[in-house]
Amino acid sequence: MNHLDDIFNGVLDGDLTAVSAHVQEAVDAGVSPVRILQEGLIEAMDEVGTLFEEGEYFVPEMLIAARAMKAGLAILKPLLVSANVEPAVKVVLGTVQGDMHDIGKNLVAIMLEGAGFEIVDLGTDVAPETFIAAVENEQKNVDLIGLSALLTTTLASLEDTLLAIEQAGLRSRVKIIIGGAPVTAEYADQIGADGFAPDASQAVTVAKALLTN
Amino acid sequence: MTMTSRQRLLAALQGQIPDRLPVTTHHIQDYFRNKYLEGLSDREIFDRFGLDAIHWTVPCRPDPANGEYFDPSQPEPTSPRFSRRIASDQWRITTETLPHPRYATIRYTITTPKGELTTVLQSNDYTSWVTEHLIKEKKDIEIIGEFVTNPKCDVEQVNREAQAFGECGLVRGHICGFDIYGQPGTWQDAAVLVGIERLILETFDDPAWVHELLEILCRRKEIFVRSLAGAQYDLLELGGGDASTTVISPKIFRKFVAPYDARLIEVAHEVGQRIVYHTCGGMMPILEDIAAMKPDAMETFTPPDMGGDTRLAEAKQRIGDKVCMIGGFNQHHHFTGCSEAETRAAVQRCFVEAGGGGGYILSPSDHFFDVDLNLLAAFGDEAHRCVYS
Ligand code: B12
Repeated sequence: MNHLDDIFNGVLDGDLTAVSAHVQEAVDAGVSPVRILQEGLIEAMDEVGTLFEEGEYFVPEMLIAARAMKAGLAILKPLLVSANVEPAVKVVLGTVQGDMHDIGKNLVAIMLEGAGFEIVDLGTDVAPETFIAAVENEQKNVDLIGLSALLTTTLASLEDTLLAIEQAGLRSRVKIIIGGAPVTAEYADQIGADGFAPDASQAVTVAKALLTN
Repeated sequence: MTMTSRQRLLAALQGQIPDRLPVTTHHIQDYFRNKYLEGLSDREIFDRFGLDAIHWTVPCRPDPANGEYFDPSQPEPTSPRFSRRIASDQWRITTETLPHPRYATIRYTITTPKGELTTVLQSNDYTSWVTEHLIKEKKDIEIIGEFVTNPKCDVEQVNREAQAFGECGLVRGHICGFDIYGQPGTWQDAAVLVGIERLILETFDDPAWVHELLEILCRRKEIFVRSLAGAQYDLLELGGGDASTTVISPKIFRKFVAPYDARLIEVAHEVGQRIVYHTCGGMMPILEDIAAMKPDAMETFTPPDMGGDTRLAEAKQRIGDKVCMIGGFNQHHHFTGCSEAETRAAVQRCFVEAGGGGGYILSPSDHFFDVDLNLLAAFGDEAHRCVYS
């Protein structure tokens, strides 16, 4: 089997040691870091997303796949930086104020990172001002904000955050996607978000569609 | 013949056909009670909305023979839904209020002869949550195993409350959780103590450690369950949302959840108690696994747009002849922002999908906070129209 297949399968199995070893072997064998990233790690995470959507994989399989992917990425990152390969898109993610649920948000981060996006994860219980500060402070432009809410009582925080971003004059600079169990596409429309996704792998599709439009 | 609320709920729990669809709710949140109903009691709320009542109570007692006493640092619980903590000279709990701009924030320290354990809890108007997990290092579980106190049921108190409640409805409790912010299920308790993501990763990295922790927690719960002999409970809750398949996989459920909680259910049955197994999240991939643990009832059958995955009719067909089903109602979409007709139609849908042949109790799929009171009234009223002829 070639290196890329080994990496792909290692990520699917969530085998951190195997992925680290195979990525290093591929690098040593002269495979370009961009190819390792695209055809090894990213393709594997794409497959993980599909298996999750199909009900074949559950959160635990995604968590260990992501961990394996990150181990590979850690080896590649310095090489990508020295080759001047910048991650294409920067995403600020967070769970809104008053809400401590982060498993779903973390999975969205994993899948977006797995798809090659750069993630700034603000954690849980994130106040609107913190989202605004993150967009303003990030040296490179933030292209996308992802907001997560799991409680019916924190749906209002989604709306508050959108409003605050608008009032801060940042709305035209960023796309905003929202998600979380009680969030629906209609609700996203209603509060003026740009997109909604029911799960982490569809979050990637929605994010890509929004950013190419 | 019209049944009393108690007869109706019990009939459904025993898989029989009541006079009409029993209708109730999971815990009533203080936020809801205070914001919309001027602080009415549970009983008054059940009566006002035509719901079959539940009395939640979990009185515990220390065992002086083991050097245990009620924790003097704990304020008197505000409701019988909360137990008093049990301390000992080797398991002392102290609290410290931490400054925070938005939330009441408290650090709890448990002092034992072999070191301290700490956890931090925050709360707002709605609820409380953990921001620092109690178990930080692997060896912390040894301290727990050696010094944790073992609450037992105050059977006489339960029976006094059950007598007073009479035919009003069911008396419900839960299997004791860990001190401070525990939960009934063994896995669920562990998830609160360790953090769910870390716990999941440890099932791959160090499964023996996870089993050791679960065993410690389960042993403590087993002592509690054995003490339930003679208590006039109708139903006790076990489980928790972290055992649902929106959070873990069926594989983890089979290896790390079922063996421990099934053991507790078996002991509960030995001492004459009924168990409802609570999984407020995905259930469809593990319906049969849960039923195989032989609980008397299962809840919450959360619909997809509340974060679950339940297809109620299919669930009824797959496990409806084995356990009583409780829940299934979408409290988000049908207690707010819709018409009364839609709420009524949602009740009828639940009845058609899960009510056939009895063994079903209509209830929101877990907690709710903001409610249009007319819709709550329509929910209760429509259930009264779902009669078994
Ligand atoms: C695990 C859990 C917890 C854990 C959270 C641990 C953690 N680190 O996240 C703990 C124990 C802390 C917790 C606490 C509480 N919880 Co809770 N919890 C859950 C549970 C069981 C699972 C949530 C979960 O992680 N799902 C798995 C993930 C993968 O799914 P997900 O979050 O939906 O994410 C997916 C999609 O929605 C989407 N997505 C998510 N975010 C985003 C963001 C973007 C941008 C996009 C595009 C997509 C997207 O992609 C994700 C991956 O596919 C749910 C049950 C349920 N039915 O959902 C209850 C639930 C959400 N909790 C609930 C409640 C009530 C609470 C508490 C208030 C409990 C209490 N004290 O009474 C507290 C609140 C604390 C707080 N302030 O936030 C209720 C909410 C009810 C309501 N009316 O709102 C639920 C629905 C349970 C229930 N049926 O009642 N909870």
